[in-house]
Amino acid sequence: MPMSGMTIHGLSKSYGNNVVLRGVDLQIRAGRIHALLGPNGAGKSTLLGCLSGAVRPDAGTITVNGLTHTGFTPQSALKAGTAIIYQHLELVSDLSAVENIFLGSEQRTPFGTVRKAAQRRIASELLDRVGADFDPSRPLTSLTMGQKQVVEIAKALHHRPEVLILDEPTAALSSRETDILLGLITRLAHESGLAIVYVTHLLREVTAVADEVSVLRDGSVEWTRPTADLGIETLIEGITGAPVARAATATSENRPVQHDRPPLLELADFRASGAPGVSVRIGAGEIVGVFGLLGSGRTNLVEALAGARPSEGGFRLAGSDLRLSSPGIARRSGIALVPSDRKSQSLFSSLSAQENVLMPHYRRLSRGWRRPRVEQHVFDSVAGRMSLHPMSAGLAGDRFSGGNAQKLVMGRWLMDGSGVTLLLLDEPTQGVDVGARAELHRMIREFARESERAVIFVSSDVEELNALADRVVVLAESRIVGIVPGDTAERELMVLAQPAPSSGPSEVRSEGNTAA
Amino acid sequence: MTEVIATDAKSEPAPSLKSGLLTGIDSIMPVATVGLMIFFAVNHSSFLTKDNLLLIALQSAPLMVVAVGAALLLMSGYIDLSIGSVMAVSGVCAGLTFNSAGVTAGVMVGLGVGLAVGLLNGVLIGYFKLSPIIVTLGILAAGRGLAQVLSPDALYGFPSAVLEFGNARVLGVPTLVWIAVFVVALGALVMTLLPAGRHVVAVGVNSRAAYLSGIPVRRLVLSLYALVGTLSALGGLMVVARLDSAPSGTLGAGFEISVLTAVLLGGIPYSGGKGHLWRVVVGVWLMGILTNGITLMNVSSQLSQVLTGAVLVLAAALEGVRFWIHRSSR
Repeated sequence: MPMSGMTIHGLSKSYGNNVVLRGVDLQIRAGRIHALLGPNGAGKSTLLGCLSGAVRPDAGTITVNGLTHTGFTPQSALKAGTAIIYQHLELVSDLSAVENIFLGSEQRTPFGTVRKAAQRRIASELLDRVGADFDPSRPLTSLTMGQKQVVEIAKALHHRPEVLILDEPTAALSSRETDILLGLITRLAHESGLAIVYVTHLLREVTAVADEVSVLRDGSVEWTRPTADLGIETLIEGITGAPVARAATATSENRPVQHDRPPLLELADFRASGAPGVSVRIGAGEIVGVFGLLGSGRTNLVEALAGARPSEGGFRLAGSDLRLSSPGIARRSGIALVPSDRKSQSLFSSLSAQENVLMPHYRRLSRGWRRPRVEQHVFDSVAGRMSLHPMSAGLAGDRFSGGNAQKLVMGRWLMDGSGVTLLLLDEPTQGVDVGARAELHRMIREFARESERAVIFVSSDVEELNALADRVVVLAESRIVGIVPGDTAERELMVLAQPAPSSGPSEVRSEGNTAA
Repeated sequence: MTEVIATDAKSEPAPSLKSGLLTGIDSIMPVATVGLMIFFAVNHSSFLTKDNLLLIALQSAPLMVVAVGAALLLMSGYIDLSIGSVMAVSGVCAGLTFNSAGVTAGVMVGLGVGLAVGLLNGVLIGYFKLSPIIVTLGILAAGRGLAQVLSPDALYGFPSAVLEFGNARVLGVPTLVWIAVFVVALGALVMTLLPAGRHVVAVGVNSRAAYLSGIPVRRLVLSLYALVGTLSALGGLMVVARLDSAPSGTLGAGFEISVLTAVLLGGIPYSGGKGHLWRVVVGVWLMGILTNGITLMNVSSQLSQVLTGAVLVLAAALEGVRFWIHRSSR
């Protein structure tokens, strides 16, 4: 019998000293939905990259359709029979569904012109198959997220894949759209016989559609089991990576917060560009973590707090009401943001380390003219305190390792005299090595403890939340669904953060308890 | 957990070779300039005389002035194609004012018009986020038309002070050359001694990061376009003073191409973010000696235009090679 589905054997990948995949073995069977779980940093993205041709594995094999491969390019992956659908859709929004489905594989006449009628016919068939209810010649801009997701799947099906990989496909969908999508995926597996790899953080999706579950941790597959054999506790452990035994039952009482002083920051029905209102009070010296799943609005919230996104509602910092209409205004009010995407949003890659740290401060440090000695001195003291490595003022930003580049962009605001009272951090230590991470944590703590300052940081890494946060604000669908102590266990946070549109968050929690 | 993959030593992608190649590319232009000077000096005895070198400086002065502004603008990742027409409109407005209200008023009006057009470009591009290429291309067409509407024929017969200024010398060096030196010094001052110089580069490298760290990006872009507009007007006035005439149809025509060539030759990439002003000075000088040497060697002016275009393509190719080296070692 020919091997159907996909077999992954001994797949390994490392970047320099950083071993990401340590010999992944995985068997994905045709006609089954295989959920792939694992905490952040377990190597899921790298594994998917290997399967889609974005990443070249160092060792190991991938067998699809009876043929064994040692790695893919994006084209050869499609040819071999694997198709991937990412969280962020890769469609051209000005083109129609038909044109998107045939993008790069247009059907041509001998004269090189596109066979429009034939394309339209095939696309309509594909779209019918996935249950599309819209005109395939409409431009994508007029479709909803769910409809676009369906176009993406139709596009993948056009390549007749054996294996369809979906990477958190429902992150941007409404609950109704999610239901439709899950139904479609089930049909594709059980009726059309596709092997489906389904990557998700969402418990209810695993229980709803998955036939089998594999958990990836530290770059290898920890276990694979049929979903029917799994209890909720085991699943949560799979998603979070935290053993249930370690997950202390968190009390919902907050750690005592000083109430003798007025809060440093007070949000009253603060709304980030169309999101529901958020109300919270944060005291001076406090470090508050923000936890939420992908699509929970966590980045929107901190960007709005930094003036980088329109917002409405009450925002009171150190006793004065503010209206944040630009990052410049936020800066002058003492608010600074370190965005999560260092490369595109914070690092000046070709500028020197010193320029990277001092960029927001040149005007402040000057007396009309710049004062090179003063600049040099300020940089040296920041770099010294952060243990920058290499300690080189002139080295370009992109020559530093991830951790040290992060020190540069965080050093901007952590330095003395930066004038920052509210520091906002989005995934402050993502992709940062352990040593640099500890140093960054130490600096964040020192920063907050000094005088009238506070830190709000978004993190999907619970270890970091536990290590750093006094309290954790849990977001789901842009609403605060809980404010819990900083040492709350991952399991608890994960349960709180599950979006539950039909039932309230409390019911999800009780569901978790009964299954235990 | 299975075996751990053998970890190769810190993967540093041979930085020495890469930086060596980049330095090589960067030095092609200065070396070419010196080589060209030697070539012309050997082939024509009058090339390397004081008078001829001063003539080259004088001929290059308007280009130098405008190139400084354009260089700063390009470093921040923006472009201005309207330069030639701004020179024409400013020159014509100044010319009209020379005859009615005097030389000083004419200069003020000319510079004021340049500033106004620059502000218009800056508002449309910086605040309304319109495409720099489309906006300034539109102004290029509209400006030339406006100049010709204002004065269909070439203006001349200005007060004698205009030509006198155009031909004046201080310490044996033409005044217009002094103006160029002054503008270069001013540009260098901004880039090295003022905070704004760092902001220009920051916007060029990563404008989102600059915006998020509180740098007033829109205002900076507006100021840079205003600067380029004003310097274009100054360049236009310098040409008018030398010609003692303001021909609305040809004044500054195609000047933006020369400016862009000089700036790209100066190693400022089209995408902005880096570059040194002194290299732009070398770029302008290279174009100056090219034009001068070709004229000395009795080559037709049409052919010299072809050569200028070829140099622009060469500059772009160098930038392409530099980009390729940078990428290939990732």
